[in-house]
Amino acid sequence: MSRFLNPAKIGLLALIELYTNKTVPTSAILDVLSFITSHLIDNDISSSALSSSDRWRRAERTVSLVISISDFEKVLTPHTAASGIPGRNLWYVFVQKLWKIDSLHALHDFFDNCSTLLAKTKEELRRDAEMGIPSPAPDIIQLSRNSPFGAFVRRSQLEFTRLRFHDAIELWKGFVKYRQTTAAYYRKKTPAFQRLSFDDVLLTGEREWGPAVEALASVAYGDMLRDDPNATMPVSTDDIEKLLEFQIDQMQKYGNRIPLEIRHQFHDLVMDSYMVPSLSHYLSYLEAWRAGDYATSFDYLHRYFDYTMQNRDRSFYQYALMNLAVLQADFGCHKEAIAAMLETVSTARENRDLTCLNFALNWLFHFGRAHPEVTKELESKSQLGTGKESLAFLRSRAKETGTWSLWSSALMSEAKMCLSNGESVATALEHLVRSSQILVERNMKGMVGSQLSINIALWDRLGVTYLSATTCEVFLQCHARHSIFDDELKVTSRQASMLALKGKYDEALEKLERLDADSLRAWKPSQYWHKFRGIIKLRRDLHHNNLDGAELLLSQLLQSKADDLEPDIAFVIDTLHVDCLVRRGNIEVAFTKVEKMVAELRDENKDIALRVRLLLLKAELLDKCGRPQKAFTIVVRAANIAWRARLIPYLWPAIGAIANILSSLGEFEPAIELLHAVLPRSLECENSAMTARLYSHLGDANVGLAGRMPPKSNKRREYLMKGVDAIEKAFNHYSSVEDINKQCEMMAKKATIMKVAQDYVLANDYASVYLDLRKAAAQLKI
Amino acid sequence: MSLNDRERFQLRGALQEAVLKCSERCLYQSAKWAAELLNSIPEVDISSLDSSQLRDDRGYASAVMASAVLAPNTDPEEAVLEARDIGRYLLAKSLFDCREYDRCAAVFLPEATLTGIISPRDTSATTPKGKGKGKATVGTSKPNNGQTIPKISQRSLFLALYAKFLSGEKRKDEDAEMVMGPQDLGTCKNKQLTTVSRVLEAWFESRKTEDGDFVDGQGWLEYLYGMILAKEKNDELALYWLVRSVHLFPMNWGCWLEMSALITRVDDLNRVMSRVPEHIVSFMFHIYTSLELYQHDANLASSLDKLLYIFPSSSFLLTCNALLSYHAKDLVAAEQNFSHLLSVHPYRLDSLDHYSNILYVMNARPKLAFLAHLCSNVDKFRPESCVVIGNYYSLLSLHEKAVQYFRRALTLDRACLSAWTLMGHEYVELKNTHAAIESYRRAVDVNRRDYRAWYGLGQTYEVLEMHAYALWYYKKAAGLRPWDGKMWMAVGSCLQRMGRNQDGIKALKRALLADSYYEAGNSLEGAADSMRGDPEILLQIAGMYDNLGEFENAKAYMEMCVAQEIGSPGESQSESITIHHDSPGGDSDDGGDGASRGAGTEGTGVTAATSKARMWLARFAMRTEDYATANRLANELCQDGVEVEEAKALIREVRSRMESGGPGAS
Repeated sequence: MSRFLNPAKIGLLALIELYTNKTVPTSAILDVLSFITSHLIDNDISSSALSSSDRWRRAERTVSLVISISDFEKVLTPHTAASGIPGRNLWYVFVQKLWKIDSLHALHDFFDNCSTLLAKTKEELRRDAEMGIPSPAPDIIQLSRNSPFGAFVRRSQLEFTRLRFHDAIELWKGFVKYRQTTAAYYRKKTPAFQRLSFDDVLLTGEREWGPAVEALASVAYGDMLRDDPNATMPVSTDDIEKLLEFQIDQMQKYGNRIPLEIRHQFHDLVMDSYMVPSLSHYLSYLEAWRAGDYATSFDYLHRYFDYTMQNRDRSFYQYALMNLAVLQADFGCHKEAIAAMLETVSTARENRDLTCLNFALNWLFHFGRAHPEVTKELESKSQLGTGKESLAFLRSRAKETGTWSLWSSALMSEAKMCLSNGESVATALEHLVRSSQILVERNMKGMVGSQLSINIALWDRLGVTYLSATTCEVFLQCHARHSIFDDELKVTSRQASMLALKGKYDEALEKLERLDADSLRAWKPSQYWHKFRGIIKLRRDLHHNNLDGAELLLSQLLQSKADDLEPDIAFVIDTLHVDCLVRRGNIEVAFTKVEKMVAELRDENKDIALRVRLLLLKAELLDKCGRPQKAFTIVVRAANIAWRARLIPYLWPAIGAIANILSSLGEFEPAIELLHAVLPRSLECENSAMTARLYSHLGDANVGLAGRMPPKSNKRREYLMKGVDAIEKAFNHYSSVEDINKQCEMMAKKATIMKVAQDYVLANDYASVYLDLRKAAAQLKI
Repeated sequence: MSLNDRERFQLRGALQEAVLKCSERCLYQSAKWAAELLNSIPEVDISSLDSSQLRDDRGYASAVMASAVLAPNTDPEEAVLEARDIGRYLLAKSLFDCREYDRCAAVFLPEATLTGIISPRDTSATTPKGKGKGKATVGTSKPNNGQTIPKISQRSLFLALYAKFLSGEKRKDEDAEMVMGPQDLGTCKNKQLTTVSRVLEAWFESRKTEDGDFVDGQGWLEYLYGMILAKEKNDELALYWLVRSVHLFPMNWGCWLEMSALITRVDDLNRVMSRVPEHIVSFMFHIYTSLELYQHDANLASSLDKLLYIFPSSSFLLTCNALLSYHAKDLVAAEQNFSHLLSVHPYRLDSLDHYSNILYVMNARPKLAFLAHLCSNVDKFRPESCVVIGNYYSLLSLHEKAVQYFRRALTLDRACLSAWTLMGHEYVELKNTHAAIESYRRAVDVNRRDYRAWYGLGQTYEVLEMHAYALWYYKKAAGLRPWDGKMWMAVGSCLQRMGRNQDGIKALKRALLADSYYEAGNSLEGAADSMRGDPEILLQIAGMYDNLGEFENAKAYMEMCVAQEIGSPGESQSESITIHHDSPGGDSDDGGDGASRGAGTEGTGVTAATSKARMWLARFAMRTEDYATANRLANELCQDGVEVEEAKALIREVRSRMESGGPGAS
């Protein structure tokens, strides 16, 4: 088929002509015009209302218009025509218009006449005036030459003139076939209609030629008359290119895969296209990449650049390398990725391609942050310098060259670095605000995702869970549809994990389930998604004391840990592993594991929050072994770091641990004081397990204090009651996260306290509740 | 000329044999022609012939019955030779079919042998010494010097030499490179021509009998020799050999075509007809050549009808029939004939370019588009298809695209006459006179009988205001189409521009005569005195008389011109569309002009020409002081709404004159 024209475009032209002839009634104008426009203009302004499944509708529309005429029918049938026979709808008028193009010559005429739709140029007007032709009446609709319609009409005309005769025939045949589906409808309405009406020459020739007309028709139209099932579709290269660009754009913008149906349709079209643009290889590459098919995507990437290289010497080599590097990194071939990216940097320098260079440097920086073990050896000799310096460099460069996205991402990286190094929160916030300003000024909707992710992390670290939850919600409600699916997935899982911390496992899982299944077809997001679900389930299993199930999940999660690219998730899995070991009572193994993790972290100079958490974990383990005092230095250090870095969610457990140590030393009063100070703030964190633990420490301290009081004194009783209250609260919090073990422990504590308080009835009650709990736990396990 | 079953049977046998023999010699087009003809004879029921009859004619019966791959040779000596080199012959034929011409030729005539045959003669011819063995005179010397031609069958020799010739043709086309490019000046020569002609000359010499006569061959080598001589522009000798060839083997249509290419006038044709054998093919030849010479008369039509009776569905004869109507300017009939032909043979592209010309002139755009579509679907790389498409684009005034397609046609076949001419027309439209002249010139070089190319040349030179040149070309065209008014009109106008009014008047009168010849149903006498004609011509004649100072004649013609507005009531029987231009130059106003003149019998109505004539008459009346007439004519002019201002001025003047001169006159 041709480069630009196809039967569908002839239909659009005919519709435009109907509009200019004022056949379209006023009530229908809006529908008709928006229908035409939606096929002429690329960018969809209405996209803000689109959900992810709607995004692909444009592609579907393009395809279905190319394949069949029924799209026109849908738009035109509801409207009546403004002129002609009353009672006939616009669809009839349109079909009639198409059937009036009744021979190849009529098609030539049709295109020839298109110029009458256009407003005349000054030149033509002048010439007309000389010739004495009056200028057209003002009430005639004329398309201005540079309007979208005018441009379309002109382009169509030009492309038609450019067609070789053979292509013009192909267009004509395609058009006859495209129109043929309306034959049944048109025959009903038009008595003069005959079988050969599709070509006037054949129709008139029938009288002369008689039965031989069949032979002539079959020579001229070939197999087209015999409803060939594997006949080609009338697709133009222009359509293919449009679709390709759209699909690639979608994939790059939202990071998801093409829906299956569209892919099949598109595949059919490409098969029938006269010429397949090399861009389709790039599409295949993206598709294979998203599908996690390393070998195929690699092959297609090379194929694409092989086909594009030939006509544009080395000037795009750096992009080929960059794609290669990103691909390699994505599939875990870090060394190759680094090598490719370093070559990108040097090629980009050579070709003076600043955008590419900046992007490559930015990528290298992030990659270095994520995989320090790979870049370590580079660091000393490479041109990158240390993280800070290169960031500053990038930022200034981005400012110079006006690459806003790079600038803001550099700012965000700086903020992130500040946070993870435990430096000033204010500085981090400043960076964030600056980057946010750039985003708003430049309307970079795609970057809002990462901006808000950092925001969420910031609030989390500051222990204002409510704000971070709100931010999550804001992102999902307002910005998710503009940003890449990865962001949506991460924020949703962040939300889910917050819910899980509150013990709302089902809700959390449901949130994850609700994500767009189509987007999850991409390999990496689906991996992430599966893992995250696994983690939530694991957490629940642990709390339910369902250790067998938990170990099964753990074994699955742990085996893929090596190629897990999200250090956060890896860490979470590790801590859960430790938790599982502890619950199994295998404290020694747990301890060595924690030791190992600490050693790793120290080597890699990672996020400060992780270090604090490891310290706390260690302290907890020591506590479990009944040697809380041994953990004193650790806990103090943790508290110190957390305080300095304003890591609020970890500061409170650290304080709790200190209080616990104090209680173990018999210093109950300061312990109670500490806990009283901490508890209200810790409630803010909405981490039930942590709060429960603090309460249980409080209970312990109170009971300890009661022990100091004279027996049977009111004071003693009062402290015992305070202890019970605290333990009750701890129990409530534990039960909200469904932690059976702890619930039992609290209940047992309560029963014991009651016994000490000589309230045997209550003690008995509590004991029986305890037994019930055990039974329920046993049931849960099954 | 009806045939009985037996004769028909014989004819079939002969045609079958011709197909086989032609394809044995790789004369594909001739074989196709014969095979088409063979299949257009109605089937005969063989069982209806009794067996004794069949036994009588063993020869043809076996030819009919046996589906031999190779036709047996009747000459025993040749048969032996053919049997001996059958293996090598088959190799050569396969190579020829694969278009490896040089290799094919080398199977029988390796380069060493060829030089052996040719070169000694050269030396003997150039060096005065000679070797004593052969006399230095070229014509009679026997090729006993050097190497003789190897003893091979005539069939093999023909194939080898023909391959040699074709390889030369191929190389010639390749050397010419792009159509109308720097190399394509028509100067490229087939370098194998001399070789082949030398060998043939030697061969014929060797077969010369004592009394200087030639032993009859099989007809094929004679054909080849004739063809080569024609390429060397040795027309008379070529004709001699071709006639010999058709005597020996009349079913070789290629040979007849070569003869027809050598005939440029009707007299020549008649002379040749007396020399060729009485054979059914010679009738076809006569018809074909007459058509090539734009003849059309009743005799031709009747003999064509007779042939069509024998071959009712022959596409060749149907084409001839259509062309006959075309030359008789009966476009509707021609169109119908071609249309019928198309429906019978939808895949046949031959001669559809003529059909497209007819459709072009009839301005039948949808049909022409359909035809182009059909041709392009069948084979878009055939010269005919390209010409049809080019014609369609030309009709759409897309001249650049038209030129592109004509060029493609020429790339496919440089001898495509119509493409050269039509491309010339397109270049005229594009105002590229230089290229137009070159195209026309090439057309004329390909075929000197193409009057449209001559006319186009004349027109182009007229545009360049080189009237003397133009006149010569117009005269050529008029010589080819003496009954075509348009040609004479061109001659007349040209003469007028050159100031030769007397001659111009003669030419224009001839044009009037020629036009009326058609209109009055091809009878010269009836039309001559009614003097109906194109008002333009009449006006022009009158204008020339005016220039010569012969006012009476001028006035007579002017009046005649004005009279055309009403037309003669006696001839109002409508002749539908009898006037058509197959004008070169593709005048875009052809249709309108034709239509207005088609209504000629009812009068043309007021045209620019008649108005001018009327104005002249009014002025003339003024001069001769016939004020009443002047007043009447001027009033008429005012009514017609043409040149009103001038007419009003005239009326005022008449009035003033009448008033001033009135008393005196009365």
